[in-house]
Amino acid sequence: MLKGHLDLIVLAALAAGPAHGYAIIEEIKRKSGQAFDLPEGTIYPALHRLEQAGFLSSRWTTAESGRKRRVYALTRPGRRALTERRAVWERFSDAIGGLLEGSPCKKPA
Amino acid sequence: MQEAGMIAAYAELLAGKLGFDPALSRRVRQEVEDHLWEAVAAEPSEGHGKAIQRAISKFGNADAIANQFATLWLVEQMKKLGVTVMLVIGGVLVAMKARVAWYALSQWELDEDVRAVAWLVGAIDAYAFWLAVIVGFAGWAYLIVRRPAPTGVYAAHRNLQRVLLLSWISAAALIVSVTSDGVLTALRLAGSAVSAQFLIPMISMAVEIAGVGILVFIVRSVVVAMASTTALLKT
Repeated sequence: MLKGHLDLIVLAALAAGPAHGYAIIEEIKRKSGQAFDLPEGTIYPALHRLEQAGFLSSRWTTAESGRKRRVYALTRPGRRALTERRAVWERFSDAIGGLLEGSPCKKPA
Repeated sequence: MQEAGMIAAYAELLAGKLGFDPALSRRVRQEVEDHLWEAVAAEPSEGHGKAIQRAISKFGNADAIANQFATLWLVEQMKKLGVTVMLVIGGVLVAMKARVAWYALSQWELDEDVRAVAWLVGAIDAYAFWLAVIVGFAGWAYLIVRRPAPTGVYAAHRNLQRVLLLSWISAAALIVSVTSDGVLTALRLAGSAVSAQFLIPMISMAVEIAGVGILVFIVRSVVVAMASTTALLKT
């Protein structure tokens, strides 16, 4: 189930500001209340794909430890994509909520 | 020390599976090492060796991660090949048309005694070029039909193999077409004294040869790089 929403999850995790892979994973775990405990390595192909799509930019920095670190940030198209996908998700969530509760949702999905 | 080597070994293992894209392989290796050391540092309560093992285990299976990168790379190569074939066909067409327009403008006629040969070579040229165009468009159509990114490395591999086949056919047809153009140009130049008039035919031929050369080089480099993704299919 997570797989289809990984892009939205990663974009949302970067909404607060630039971060490196490990920090993104930690942010996802923290914000989801540890619900999304995905294999950590799967974040990197997703970051690469989102960067290729122009939704993320990245650059090398040097961590305090002296190691080279790749830091990712949302681009303008990335912020737009996050807004759009969030709206789609909210409509979908409302619709499912309406179905499960037996009351019609507020907005058409 | 041996435990610390586990992180480097894991990063090396994953990077080794990304041989199809050396730059990506180097990048991923550094990112993975940084990630794993961060994960180890975040678990100070555990023993160092245990923390390393746990970090590697949580990172996931190297083959599964490499497969995801390979899928992205294969889709990207498909697009690159499609665009290159069409750009080269367009470039060859412009060069051809420019040369023919120059012959007309400068009223540069073929010698009577080579017209029969020129007609035959011209027919081969035209058929080969149109074959390249038709196959090139077939490749584009396939790209459009397969536009949604494949869900796995197997599907992406199969799709790229088909686009590669079409690209090879298109490149082979273009080689025949450009060779025919070369013969036609030589027939025309052979009957004339060397002059500045030669410049346009020579430049246009150079453009055609360079275009086909670039296409063959790119197709071949994708075939060579695909050896790494083929190895991933067997794991």
